[in-house]
Amino acid sequence: MTELQRRDNSSILEVRNLTVAYGTKIAVDNVNLEIRHGEIFGLLGPNGAGKTSILSSIEALIKPRSGQVLIEGIDIIDNSQRVKAMIGVQLQATSFQSELTIRQIVRLYAGLYGVKLTLQRINERLEETGILNEAGKPFKDLSGGQQQRLALLIAVIHNPVLLLLDEPTSGLDPQSRRQLWRRIEHIRQSGGSILLTTHSMEEAQTVCDRVAIIDHGKLLTCDTPRHLIEKHKDDIRVQKVAHGDVTLEDVFIGLTGSEIRD
Amino acid sequence: MTSYEQRMSPNSKVMFESLFKADILVLIKNRRSLVLGIILPLIILATTNGHKAQQRLGGSLLLVGLAITYGLMSTSMLGYALSIARDRDAGVFQRLRVTPAPTWMIMTSRLTIQAIANLIIALLVVIVGTSIYHLTLTLTQYAMVLAISILGGAMFLSIGQAMVGLLKSSETVNAAGRIVFAGLILLGLLGFSGVLGGTLESIATWSPVGTVMTLFSGVMNPSKWTGHDSLSLLVTFGYIACFASLGIRWFRWDTH
Ligand SMILES: Nc1ncnc2c1ncn2[C@@H]1O[C@H](COP(=O)(O)OP(=O)(O)OP(=O)(O)O)[C@@H](O)[C@H]1O
Ligand SMILES: [Mg+2]
Repeated sequence: MTELQRRDNSSILEVRNLTVAYGTKIAVDNVNLEIRHGEIFGLLGPNGAGKTSILSSIEALIKPRSGQVLIEGIDIIDNSQRVKAMIGVQLQATSFQSELTIRQIVRLYAGLYGVKLTLQRINERLEETGILNEAGKPFKDLSGGQQQRLALLIAVIHNPVLLLLDEPTSGLDPQSRRQLWRRIEHIRQSGGSILLTTHSMEEAQTVCDRVAIIDHGKLLTCDTPRHLIEKHKDDIRVQKVAHGDVTLEDVFIGLTGSEIRD
Repeated sequence: MTSYEQRMSPNSKVMFESLFKADILVLIKNRRSLVLGIILPLIILATTNGHKAQQRLGGSLLLVGLAITYGLMSTSMLGYALSIARDRDAGVFQRLRVTPAPTWMIMTSRLTIQAIANLIIALLVVIVGTSIYHLTLTLTQYAMVLAISILGGAMFLSIGQAMVGLLKSSETVNAAGRIVFAGLILLGLLGFSGVLGGTLESIATWSPVGTVMTLFSGVMNPSKWTGHDSLSLLVTFGYIACFASLGIRWFRWDTH
């Protein structure tokens, strides 16, 4: 098989019949997902829908009640170390040792991912991310957005084949948000695939090839943003919330309901 | 093949070195715990020098042992346990756990640094203590004092580990650490001053501080090593096994 064919046909990530429970609470209910090579995939859902729980299962941070996760066809449970070297992760709430400076943190994680970085390369990376001036500061002294940018820098430090981003643009200013979108696109072009969660429908529509909407742990629908609108625009629930042309947000609210989650 | 797929998994040596370096930096920045672990013993040495207390507490070498014990207790139970609990609260471990570094490596690096810090404390206190009291130790005695310090350090570390294993938030770990610390100090001091009688006395003797102190006193006279000393050694190992398994069995990387 040529590289191109493989790209088109095979999946980088497969989530099969995933169920996650915390005690008696079912957070993810029999979810199936497939992400193809070179795809940017968005996971949408209201607060508490189970997005982070799905990501945590893929990252092997939590043990699902049942189901299977395969990355490049490799089961993550049996080969967690190997798989962890292949994925880049940005957690919804990331924290680094508060005593370390930004530069020391970058050096630590470069080492953990087996990446050799000279001081000059580290500074270049920090410069690109716009936090070079902060390089000598401890993590806790950065602004929220700067912390987020560092977390994203660490997530891609080893050029992962699969990038898992949990609300990557929350807390970012519009400039940084656009920069991140460009980066994501760039990562895709150089062979990576991305799974991200977001609450921004604009973001989902702009950057994602396909999106899935989940609620109460269940996958409600999954397709390209355009097809999703096509598919659900005549749904009575969607019609009720739409003003004029149906948008992705109308579909989202129509399918997941208008009430606010706790 | 893309360049991505040609990359190899990072090797364990590089991973451990990176973790270890970072943990050293953290320990140095967190001087407070290290300084406390050295200052506290020095205060004990300074305030007991030349006093009658020295006789009552069982002689100068035993005081050096007591000073070391308190130093080890403070760095392990207050310093180590609290830093683990805080990092866990903040989510530092979750970020480390999604890297290829195995979890045992993350913990081993931390524990190794702490063990080295303990050894430095013990060495410093022995050197200062013996010179204040004009003690001359044989090489064997030196070695034994250090060996017991390592053992005692391991025991207090395992108590610290048990605390972060059984307690969730860093606030509770902090509070419990202080209470246990104060309790053990009192038990140790009173136990060895002989003011306690009967049951309390024997609780003190077999408490974690008591067994270590018994071992230190055994060093003063290695030729007269008693069955009580051997039993204390055994009990110390028992404490380590018990607290360490509690601390590992119940440890959670995430408190949320
Ligand atoms: N460690 C946990 N213990 C108990 N319940 C949990 C835990 N983590 C998540 N939950 C519950 O599981 C459900 C799904 O949570 P999850 O964090 O996956 O949602 P989410 O879609 O990421 O939400 P958000 O958009 O707010 O980040 C929620 O009801 C949450 O309360
Ligand atoms: Mg979430």
